Amino acid sequence: MKAAFSDYLNTIAPAVKELIELLGNHYDYVSVLSTDSVGFSAMISQRAKSVSNSTMFTERGNVVRVQKNGLYSEYAFNEFDTGNVRALAEEIRVALNAQLDLLAETGAEIYATDVLPDEPAQVFAEMETGTMPEDTDLQKLVEELSAISDEAVHSCEIAVDCMVRGQSTHVSKMFLTKNRDMRQSYVYSEGMIAPIVMKNGKNEMSYASVSGRRGPELFAGLRDKLAEAVKAAEEVIDAEPIVPGEYEIITSPEVSGLIAHEAFGHGVEMDMFVKNRALGKEYIGRRVGSDLVTMHEGALCVEEVASYAFDDEGTPAGDTVEIKNGILQTGVCDALSALRLGTKPTGNGKRQSFENKVYTRMTNTVFDSGTDTLEDMIASVKYGYLLEGMKSGMEDPKHWGIQCIVERGLEIRDGKLTGKVVAPIVMTGYVPDLLGSITMASTDREVFGSGACGKGHKEWVKVSDGGPYLKAKARLG
Amino acid sequence: MLETIIELLKEAGTDGWEVTDTRTQGWEFYFIRHQLDQNRVRNVEHINVSVYKKFDSFLGKASTEIPVTASREEAVDLIGKLCAEALLVKNPVYTLNMPAEISAETQTMPDVRAIAKDFLNVMNELPESGTADINSYELFISAKEVRFMNSNGIDVTSVYPSSMAEVVVNARNEKHEIELYRLYHSGSCDKEGLKQEISETLKYGADRLSAQNTPNLGSCDVVFSTDASLQIYEFFIDRMNTGMKYRQLSSWELGKPVAEDVKGDRITVKALRSLANSSSNSAYDAEGAPVRDLVLINDGTAEHWWGSRQFSQYMGVEDSFIPGNFAAEGGTRSAEELRQGTFLEIVEFSDFQVETMTGAIAGEIRLGYYHNNGTVTVVTGGSVSGTMMDFMKEMYMSREQKQYNNMLVPAVTRLKGVSITGAAD
Repeated sequence: MKAAFSDYLNTIAPAVKELIELLGNHYDYVSVLSTDSVGFSAMISQRAKSVSNSTMFTERGNVVRVQKNGLYSEYAFNEFDTGNVRALAEEIRVALNAQLDLLAETGAEIYATDVLPDEPAQVFAEMETGTMPEDTDLQKLVEELSAISDEAVHSCEIAVDCMVRGQSTHVSKMFLTKNRDMRQSYVYSEGMIAPIVMKNGKNEMSYASVSGRRGPELFAGLRDKLAEAVKAAEEVIDAEPIVPGEYEIITSPEVSGLIAHEAFGHGVEMDMFVKNRALGKEYIGRRVGSDLVTMHEGALCVEEVASYAFDDEGTPAGDTVEIKNGILQTGVCDALSALRLGTKPTGNGKRQSFENKVYTRMTNTVFDSGTDTLEDMIASVKYGYLLEGMKSGMEDPKHWGIQCIVERGLEIRDGKLTGKVVAPIVMTGYVPDLLGSITMASTDREVFGSGACGKGHKEWVKVSDGGPYLKAKARLG
Repeated sequence: MLETIIELLKEAGTDGWEVTDTRTQGWEFYFIRHQLDQNRVRNVEHINVSVYKKFDSFLGKASTEIPVTASREEAVDLIGKLCAEALLVKNPVYTLNMPAEISAETQTMPDVRAIAKDFLNVMNELPESGTADINSYELFISAKEVRFMNSNGIDVTSVYPSSMAEVVVNARNEKHEIELYRLYHSGSCDKEGLKQEISETLKYGADRLSAQNTPNLGSCDVVFSTDASLQIYEFFIDRMNTGMKYRQLSSWELGKPVAEDVKGDRITVKALRSLANSSSNSAYDAEGAPVRDLVLINDGTAEHWWGSRQFSQYMGVEDSFIPGNFAAEGGTRSAEELRQGTFLEIVEFSDFQVETMTGAIAGEIRLGYYHNNGTVTVVTGGSVSGTMMDFMKEMYMSREQKQYNNMLVPAVTRLKGVSITGAAD
């Protein structure tokens, strides 16, 4: 079925167009992004349960972007009297002018930027979904999630709890300018199982997830992840600390995705090029990885939680090949940064919500598959680890350092898994060294979208990432 | 819209309800170098509603935000859904907070323009040089008015400023350029404090230019003297949370030491009603409970839990609350004394983390100072690992304290025997 576009946004569209016309008398560029996203979240554990009709990304509101004398300004609001648009337009002008007065008083110079192009565009995209969050039988879902939690605890002697979450968001966004009318609607869902085990007074937790640009029907796949999540928790509780050093590693698709995201996701967000904050700017056309490294980024490159028709600046979604056979091709770019850099936007201008500024942000970031089998990859390792389970990562585009915190490492000696598990693991290194050391890549590939990505330590947006199993060398601690 | 929602909740046949109405006036400024990239205004209101229903021996709760532009029909529909969904949530019964008399405070709406002016001026008064300067900065200033109401008659309002400054510092020599990242939170603008913090970061930036790869130190004492130390103290605070305890994620017991065989300083942690220029000085918590000073861990022994109404009642704590501010008391030695002998002082991590449940610490080192037999080497790269379950047995805290927004913690913290993975062999 099609994910129906918001009735509310259709209702306010004429007033938004009137607002654009009124502000157009005073500014050289005017756009409005209006959002109306709904959803639900159900969290079940043995000791506490919760249901909410909100997720991290449900919202309803508007943001006006204007440009005058080279300066871009924005006004975000959610109270909207569509019967008195003239008063709203005046309120916006007064508020922004008050800021300009202060900026003049404090002697601020302007980073002058051209007027964004406004070629005519009409988009109406209602994307396919199985079911809608609004139509979900929450009673049935709560019962199913509860049953999974119960089964996890009963299947494992040392399990003290198991958190199970299902959340689904129906996004509706409308981007209007004088010449553009772009409307899109889609649904994405995320499910998670997190068993908690206790042994000798020590707690550990593992998790497994499902995600996709699909409706709540996706949660049917959670039960298939149960055994995997419980086994991982049992492995971690008995794990030993790793002896720090450089090892041969095989990264699971989830860890490969984390590397893609931290290494050359953030590293080629081109608003960082504008600020001279990313080393990638100097490496376009140069080798940054082995021949086996080809990486795509874009809302169109896979169908996952960050797959949309257009971004928050009205730029159509793209599929950018960032690295091809180890050579850095290009970055991804929001519309304002593209103007400043003299390049084309790639459909990566995203906001956390209507209240937040646009930055260049990742969507779906994935390594291409290779030709090897996991069995052959393990057989090729003399001494190293198969790394599984992603905990967190941090970017460092200026210096190409990388930090990935991985849940566990399965020891490999002489081409065989020994059964020994080490945890947790901090993987660090220099990005070109890490990507340059990749010597094998598996034929299969998985993409994961159950988390959110920050820029620095704020501005959270939905992303997905993934890849095949990769064999490389890295420093583990 | 608020009045309509209250009216509908009273008619909806609930067994309890809570409403939080948050109005925000925000000013934001984004600079590249010292040129204005963009200015933004936020003028928003969010109304969040929770509905409670009793059934069998359970109390169910369902929540949502009702848009301020929702029609009456839409609000009726949303509240009806909440009433039905609350019946799906089988949690043990607990009660909502009751009104409490506390001394009235005069509250005035913060002057966003004046606070913004202070921030803008500070950023123009920094000791930048040809070798260390500001790459970019983002200023977020807001005035918040938060009104909380519940079905027991609580109707309280808090008004306060909340600010954030993200600052990126560059330093360069003839060979290369580096950057350091800082994110400062506060109520209004602490002009002198912010200037001092950024000035220190500019100095760190210059030092990082000469940094060598962190050697494989194996086990080494690590000194924390920046906001990374907050993660260490949040580990102690979070493990005293009733939600963590109720869900068996914290093994600590009231009246018992949080660590056995402690050789170092014994930790004392308190919740505080207010802290100068904190952005969390509300007199009431998010559930309408009055906030007060409370000792959580006293001289290494767990003394009081803190937490939400639900989990606190499950734990038998009737007068708990969710504090906004915390303080960890200093130890027996000075910061100077803690910087003796062989140690690695790390002033910049990629992202230092302490896992509350397991105590595992992890972080990549972006800038550190390795002190060994009187020599100091500036280092970068590599990582720290280990667990607070071991480190809290020999942890030293300086007498001097330092405030980071809503946290007052020892200025210097020293952990013994942290595992250091080097950046090179």
